[in-house]
Amino acid sequence: MTDNVVIEASGLKRTFGEVVAVEGIDLSVARGEIFGFLGPNGAGKSTTVRMLTTLLRPTGGTARIDGHDVEKSAAAVRRIIGVALQDASIDPLMTGNELMRLQAVLHGISRSESRNRGAELLARVGLAGAAGRRVATYSGGMRRRLDLALSLVHEPSILFLDEPSAGLDPTSRLALWEEVRRLNSELGTTVFLTTQYLEEADELAGRIAIIDHGRLVREGSPADLKSTVGSPTLRVDVDPVFLESARSVLIGFGPERPAFEGRCAIGLDGGAARVAEVVRALDVAGVTVSHLELDLPSLDDVFADATGRRLEGAEK
Amino acid sequence: MTCSPTRPAVASRGPKSESPTVSGGAATGLRLAGAQTLALTRRSVVSEWRQLGNVVPGIVFPLLLAAVYTHQFTRVILLPGFPAVDSFLDFVLPASLVQSVSFGATEAGTELARDIENGFFDRLRASPCMRLPLLLGRLGGAVVVAAVKGVLIIAIFLLFGAEIAGGPAAAVVLVVAAVLLVIAIGGLGQMLAIFTGSQEAVNATFPLVFTSIFMSSAFFPTNLMSGWFREVAEANPVTWIIDPVRRLILEGWSWADVGQALVVPLVISVATVTMAVVALNRKLSSS
Repeated sequence: MTDNVVIEASGLKRTFGEVVAVEGIDLSVARGEIFGFLGPNGAGKSTTVRMLTTLLRPTGGTARIDGHDVEKSAAAVRRIIGVALQDASIDPLMTGNELMRLQAVLHGISRSESRNRGAELLARVGLAGAAGRRVATYSGGMRRRLDLALSLVHEPSILFLDEPSAGLDPTSRLALWEEVRRLNSELGTTVFLTTQYLEEADELAGRIAIIDHGRLVREGSPADLKSTVGSPTLRVDVDPVFLESARSVLIGFGPERPAFEGRCAIGLDGGAARVAEVVRALDVAGVTVSHLELDLPSLDDVFADATGRRLEGAEK
Repeated sequence: MTCSPTRPAVASRGPKSESPTVSGGAATGLRLAGAQTLALTRRSVVSEWRQLGNVVPGIVFPLLLAAVYTHQFTRVILLPGFPAVDSFLDFVLPASLVQSVSFGATEAGTELARDIENGFFDRLRASPCMRLPLLLGRLGGAVVVAAVKGVLIIAIFLLFGAEIAGGPAAAVVLVVAAVLLVIAIGGLGQMLAIFTGSQEAVNATFPLVFTSIFMSSAFFPTNLMSGWFREVAEANPVTWIIDPVRRLILEGWSWADVGQALVVPLVISVATVTMAVVALNRKLSSS
């Protein structure tokens, strides 16, 4: 391992009885990166994060955080990481201030220092006005922001965020992204982020790994991954009775790609310049088109290319 | 496949384990464990305070029962073999005390199970919090609540004319014995919480605790019982605690009674808390 690599996994595996949740993945994340771990529900994202954050023992392979083995040096790992888990609730009976103080004490931070740092962090995530209120009165977005502040109280050099914007409204999501970017750019915090949102991975991550059924299926920067897909995707919505006719026409213009029910999709060879040609061919074949769109390659196309399926929630 | 970093590193502050504010620096491991236990105890007490509705029945119900029994059993105290008392109120004081604290005794377990169920326990585990404070923090909250309840129950009994022959020191022993009993039951609840991770499973032990009070010398002396019920009552650890406590109230100070009143719940507490710690270690080692 080089000094620059702070998260490293080799053949990391976790089984639950007969079920293989994570099947021997290899990872390497550099200091200062925002690394996106993208995959659908049940792909193994949270299980991987739980192993990397010492909450779950791997049943195979190894993982090291800044040189510390997650099994043999769990205490050392916990001191240097910040963790905001998707399913870890925040005690609703406590106030934001009280939880910040508790988290600070758990990390051995002095009372006076914790008071200053707690106030500063709560202000930074926009919760200064609500700091004295019980968490039970917080909205979902406020809880996620408090969760982020709690994970930062000891100024971790590595931050694990498990589905940080799940359930957030668009405004709260943007505010959270901004804070994650700021942490990374201003403080150099390494961020390991799991998400099932394509846009989130695309917006935040410098590098992405796609996981499906416990295996890594693609890895690279968003731009590199998209470039592997090649041609843009042409999606055509037609009445079900025209579906087969439309498909037979479209495959003459490029390889078929996975699409939702009632829709045909191809990688359009030659790009936008050939759209008019496609429309004419469909017209000649007697196919009535209700909707047609051409998209540059997206991470969803990358996922579809790797797995043969569209990512859950990627399209309505 | 292997993912290799491609992006140049950004300036980093390095691992916080080197920070003087984190354990290993000014704070020794023991001091840190103490601070963590205190902080988690404070959290438990605050939780109890903000859910007072859960605490009040544990004070009101035993007092009501004591009032009813004292009124109904005015002639029972005249039975041959019944301890010499001026009023049934003196006799029933230890029963009310044990009953009152037992109401919240399983809280240390149910609250721990709640933390496990909703994921707060994982938040604590992902921090450098040591294992023992995870349990002691919840027990600490139950201890504070039990002590307050104990003082309240004794004060109310004294207001209504009860007398403690052993004096104020005996009253302190009463409260300490009650607190130890809460730790004993709380340790058992925590062990169940760790094994099951379910509040319902821990709550299911409450009827057992409650029944064991009725099947002891709490409301009637064992020498006036008969048959299997007497055998059960005499073998019941609740009787072993209530009898010496009652003698301190009715007969006066005795070091032997103080010893028995404290050692029995202390031994059970050590046993149940140890079992809870072992259960936690096993759970964390296997997960």
